[in-house]
Amino acid sequence: MAIYEVFLKKDGRDEFRHAGALDAANDELAFVMARESYARRAEGDRLWLVERSNVLVADAEFVAPNADKPHRHHDGAAVAARRKSIREQADIADDSESQ
Amino acid sequence: MNPIEEFIFSFADDEHLIGQQHTEWIGVAPFLEEDLAFSSIGQDELGHAVLLYEVVLGLRETEATDEAIDALAYDRGASEYRSSHLVELATTDWAQALLRHWLYDTVEQFRWELVVGSSNTALAEIAIRVEREERFHRRHADALLDSLLASPVARPVLLAAFDSLTPFIANLLAPVAGETEAIAQGVVSASITTIAPLLEQRVADRFEQTLSITADISNSPGRDVRSDHFQTLMDRMREVIDYDPQAVW
Repeated sequence: MAIYEVFLKKDGRDEFRHAGALDAANDELAFVMARESYARRAEGDRLWLVERSNVLVADAEFVAPNADKPHRHHDGAAVAARRKSIREQADIADDSESQ
Repeated sequence: MNPIEEFIFSFADDEHLIGQQHTEWIGVAPFLEEDLAFSSIGQDELGHAVLLYEVVLGLRETEATDEAIDALAYDRGASEYRSSHLVELATTDWAQALLRHWLYDTVEQFRWELVVGSSNTALAEIAIRVEREERFHRRHADALLDSLLASPVARPVLLAAFDSLTPFIANLLAPVAGETEAIAQGVVSASITTIAPLLEQRVADRFEQTLSITADISNSPGRDVRSDHFQTLMDRMREVIDYDPQAVW
């Protein structure tokens, strides 16, 4: 028996998404069982199966340091604050000119 | 009984009872995924039974309400059912259930092919519609059998289970009451007995066994006689209804 990871996608919509996993004796049985276990209510119309042993899993220690770098999160707040500040300064300059 | 109705009942009742039998494996099949797959296949067969009961209601020019379909499925007298003894058989043996699934669905494929050009247009449309599901049913049975027959442990168990079912094949393929009229009216293209050589070939390919069905068919009891298993199955199916037959659902 092998563990298979199941991915589903709705045609024309979204990307493949992980749906779950199952045990199966071979690829063909994995297809048959995945269809009924994960797609019987039409949750997707495309199906990928990946044997878990073929998934390359990175070490958590290797990935973790990137969680602590807020400067790489481009949520736009810093840029927006800067634009606002420049806009306000320009308004002040306009006001003093018109006086 | 109207002969065309009787012919349709022979198919509808088979679909109904095999569907019931398969769905009863929910929770007790050998593994979780098979629980889902097998009972889901059973639901498909129940759906096909509904479509076929609707054909009967169409012949009667009666509206196919849920109540009318339920009445055909659950309320007829035992002597009015035209199911084969194979689908009435009670089993708690998974190997037997799996082999029955393969055997029934192999025959079912050929039965739909006999009505795909039916003069009854509703029936012809159903034959095309169900094939998408039936293709999967056969793939499911074949995937399990391909895997298990290769195992020296499972192979003898499966072959014994198959042997236990071969006595039911003649009854399954014996001429169905009403089929002479059904053939004359173009409802079905040929007798169900014509499936025998096709099944023999499938059995030879799958189990490397020689099966001779044709000789047994003429000696088989027909579908107008219920097997001993029928009433227990029907009582179980009607259990909730029988608590209070007047209840409104």
